[in-house]
Amino acid sequence: MMRDTAVGSAMVTKPKQSSELKRRLIKNRALYQMILPGFLFFVIFKYIPMGGLVIALQDYQPYLGILNSPWVGFEHFERLFSEPMFFTILRNTLLLFFMNMVFYFPIPIILALMLNEVRREAFKRIVQTVIYIPHFMSWVIIVSISFVMLSMDRGIINELLVLMGLEKINFLMSNEWFRPMYVLQIIWREAGWGTIIYLAAMAAIDPGLYEAARMDGANRFRQMWHITLPSIRSVIVVLLILKIGDVLELGFEHIYLLLNSMNREVAEIFDTYVYTAGLRQGQFSYSTAVGFFKSVVGLFLVMGANWLSKKAGEDGIY
Amino acid sequence: MAKKKAGTLLAVLTAFAVLTACTGNSGGSTNNAAGSNTNTQTATETPAETKKEPVKISIMANLHTPEVPDQAIEKLIEEATNTELEIQWVPDGSYDEKMNASFATGTLPQATYIKNQTSLVMMRDAIRNDQFWEIGPLLDQYPNLKNLQKEVLANTSVDGKIYALYAERPLSRQGFIYRKDWADKLGLSAPTTTEEFFTMLEKFTTDDPDGNGKNDTFGMTDRSDFVYGAFKTVASWFGTPNNWGMQDGKLMPEFMFPQYMETLEFFKRIHSAGYMNQDFPVTSKTDQQSLLLTGKAGVYVGSMGDVAGLDTKILEVNPDAVLDVHHKVSGPNSEYGIWAIPGFGSVVLFPKSSVKSEEELKNILSFYDQLMSPELTNMIYWGVEGKHYTMEEGKVIPSTDTAMTDREVKPYMSLQIGGPVTIDGFLEAKHILPSKAKAEELIVDNNNYLIHDPAAALDSLTYNQDGARLQEIIKDASYKFMLGDIDAAGYQAAVDQWLEQGGQKIIDEYNASHTAAQ
Amino acid sequence: MVQDKSLGSRIFDIVNYTLLIIIALVTFLPFIHVIAGSFTTVGELAQKQFVIIPTVWSLDAYEYIFSTNTIIKSMGVSVGVTFFGTLFSMVLTALMAYGLSRRDLDGRSGIMFIVVFTMLFSGGMIPTFLVVKELGLIDSLAALIVPTAINAFNLIIMRNFFQNLPDGLEESAKIDGCSDWGILLRIVIPLSMPAIATISLFYAVTYWNTYMTAILYLNDAAKWPVQVILRQIVILASGLTADTSGMDDFVRPPEQTVKMAVIVVATLPILLVYPFLQKHFAKGALLGSIKG
Repeated sequence: MMRDTAVGSAMVTKPKQSSELKRRLIKNRALYQMILPGFLFFVIFKYIPMGGLVIALQDYQPYLGILNSPWVGFEHFERLFSEPMFFTILRNTLLLFFMNMVFYFPIPIILALMLNEVRREAFKRIVQTVIYIPHFMSWVIIVSISFVMLSMDRGIINELLVLMGLEKINFLMSNEWFRPMYVLQIIWREAGWGTIIYLAAMAAIDPGLYEAARMDGANRFRQMWHITLPSIRSVIVVLLILKIGDVLELGFEHIYLLLNSMNREVAEIFDTYVYTAGLRQGQFSYSTAVGFFKSVVGLFLVMGANWLSKKAGEDGIY
Repeated sequence: MAKKKAGTLLAVLTAFAVLTACTGNSGGSTNNAAGSNTNTQTATETPAETKKEPVKISIMANLHTPEVPDQAIEKLIEEATNTELEIQWVPDGSYDEKMNASFATGTLPQATYIKNQTSLVMMRDAIRNDQFWEIGPLLDQYPNLKNLQKEVLANTSVDGKIYALYAERPLSRQGFIYRKDWADKLGLSAPTTTEEFFTMLEKFTTDDPDGNGKNDTFGMTDRSDFVYGAFKTVASWFGTPNNWGMQDGKLMPEFMFPQYMETLEFFKRIHSAGYMNQDFPVTSKTDQQSLLLTGKAGVYVGSMGDVAGLDTKILEVNPDAVLDVHHKVSGPNSEYGIWAIPGFGSVVLFPKSSVKSEEELKNILSFYDQLMSPELTNMIYWGVEGKHYTMEEGKVIPSTDTAMTDREVKPYMSLQIGGPVTIDGFLEAKHILPSKAKAEELIVDNNNYLIHDPAAALDSLTYNQDGARLQEIIKDASYKFMLGDIDAAGYQAAVDQWLEQGGQKIIDEYNASHTAAQ
Repeated sequence: MVQDKSLGSRIFDIVNYTLLIIIALVTFLPFIHVIAGSFTTVGELAQKQFVIIPTVWSLDAYEYIFSTNTIIKSMGVSVGVTFFGTLFSMVLTALMAYGLSRRDLDGRSGIMFIVVFTMLFSGGMIPTFLVVKELGLIDSLAALIVPTAINAFNLIIMRNFFQNLPDGLEESAKIDGCSDWGILLRIVIPLSMPAIATISLFYAVTYWNTYMTAILYLNDAAKWPVQVILRQIVILASGLTADTSGMDDFVRPPEQTVKMAVIVVATLPILLVYPFLQKHFAKGALLGSIKG
């Protein structure tokens, strides 16, 4: 972080240090030139609009604008923390997040490892292209297809269960089946797409390493374990940290489509709650306050994860 | 060089900061100024100017069709009204987002359509704060606009003042569609009481109405919609009030009436016996209709107008299927009645941020007055005679090329103001499908049995802010009761929760508003 | 390359191939349903919940879609936005990512933190709209590109790839008298084709899927990209808004077959991009360029 370098340079004998810094700045000026356009982008399109976050402390009305809306302090945050559903929602969000981490996150890695072992290029390309397709289907379509399949009334799955002499299962309206259904749909839609980054990282591995390993008699699993995985470790770490920052972002549209009166207890998350309680009624300030709360939680988790990864000798993300 | 860059960077940053700050500012203050001062000023300054120049009018309207329309009809309207229209079409699914963003950034066009009653309620606060032109006192100057019904305008009003023009909708299209061939086969006539209705659902499930020897049919197909699905209509049969009702001289929400509970129990009976789709709380409209179309279910409660689409499609699947519609069903303790909408669909508001003077407002109103003439209304509704429809016995026969009318005419229906009741000379369709013709008749007949929402024109601050969330409590409890997850005590607990978390305030506020209105 | 022919290796291959085939089938079947559904009649689609091969073939849905040139024109817009957007994004992202990948750069982790921060905190729709408006981008296709030019996630991934390039490349290049620009253009970029292909794909897909910004920033419907129309059709055909507008009696929603056909038409072009990028993911793609 910037603070570290600044403090560091202030500590040691000033004049020499600052001229040293100046020299490095000049030496690297080309790099700063490269960074500048992107930096401006972030300032203009991200940081200037971020001023809008102050409406979390206001009773914002679109027609009054930010400057004229009345200030209400932390009222919206107080409302959030005193919502009767607050702890249910927090629990739901965290549980879904952990299920995501445990059941979804490793799958693209495993799938990429499997694809990486395929020697026939044509086969590999076809499989790759096919497993990306679900990523392009919107949640509206995916949820509607799966509802038809899982329906109690004439859904294929339940008819199969009946054929096998089993009881019908009420997948769509039960607390027990909501989470598995949610995670499976994510796996179905995103697992193939998620392999791309890992495959790109694997493309950079020197094939000589595998040859050497084979000479030493390493079987395919050992090669994966000792060569492929370590080579993509830093990508995994980066993705893991970024994913952790998304802890409270579970995909509004997806969950909103799956949510109903019978599974609300386990399915309601911050975004869906805010949608019904706030946005639908034009309560921008409250929605912003909830968003801000989520961001703060995400920030702490990312900072923690980044710190841990640096402790473990990885680069981290900043 | 680095210094120069830094300098420019700083300049750009400050420029942005200033720009955004300015917008935020002007969004509020100049608008207010325009509201109170400018209108009187400009009105005196510029009396009727050159009439020749076409008036430019910008409009934001809801797009209900896949594609934006071909401009032919727009051109005809422009010629007839001497205007130059700039229509911003906004896809239905994102209309409120776009409208809110435009509103907050001061970029609303001169005529802004508001989707429906729910969205209008959200705008109440802004309307009250002088963001839109009040048009009530002006309407009498316009020969067509003055025909808009006072009662319906009152339902759109805020604090008794009228700000909006409205598009008319049939007051109640509710009823049910059923398989006539199944009913005939089982010797059933159209049910007139809720018990007969129950019997029909039962027989459709147990007596093999399709005669295939398999137990693969059930009575009713419903969807996850408390209002436009079956529930609210059946609740009307039992005599439940429409959203709010009078109890001991006090307004109370529908779900605190015993009739609502009777309806819940009725649904529970139907559901637990397997006479309706088991998944109805999560069934989409498409899936609900497909259960009827594929001969799984025989009764569809909802808008009787849907029969037109269903009838054509069901014949593709099963040429022997016959659909019929029916409306009048009475409950055990009540005469037939049916809930009504407040009489309007979308409305148009005129933002002060874009309509700068009263004169501009009058120009726009004059455009809408002309648009409400029978000629132009028929054009935006039916299209051009000879191309989009033909006439027979004074009635319209729409072209069978629906793809063409979808593209050239139907999107413009969003612009419609008024309707059959308020426009003399609005052409009616000659329905070729007997079921559709009957549905239209019954929709008109429903007007004799309407149950109105006594709170439609009333206001409750708590409801505006928290009503939607509180409503979820009731919705959840109602579904859980119908599915047998909770009992009457559990339902009562949910109602108590509703009262405690703000419902009592809503009741009090509506009653106060009701007293004030009288 | 020497092939490993041991028994264990063969069993591994058999299991691996079989699993991959099953996975591919499971992911592909629903899409087959969509494709088959687009080539059949409304009646058949209503009757079956899952169509793999239509019993009745029909091109009605496609005829409906292509009876005007709206879809084709909007595809043109999408292709243009995707192409120029990806190009623009890649230039900005690669430059910034490379600058930030150099460990000897002062302030590097501070800038990275500034970037990461934007992934968590955002001002929301309305303030962004104001910036776009003040820049005069409303109703311009640039509004679909410029405000989303750099995706922080992609930037971080790109930087990570650059950081993982073999150490010493830069040092030796510097000794050869290369400037930082020279190193980036002549050495780093050619060595990073898998990463560039990956991130380009991510950007291309994001631009292709753009619809909300188009609805917000483009008032002129003639400039809408295909996703706006796709989404409109999907939402109308799924009956998600029909009741509240009260228009369903007058305007009939598009047929399910039309919905399927539009999904197919709007998805195919972006799927076709992938095979072009695929060769950069081949194993050892990098090695050749290092040694060569």
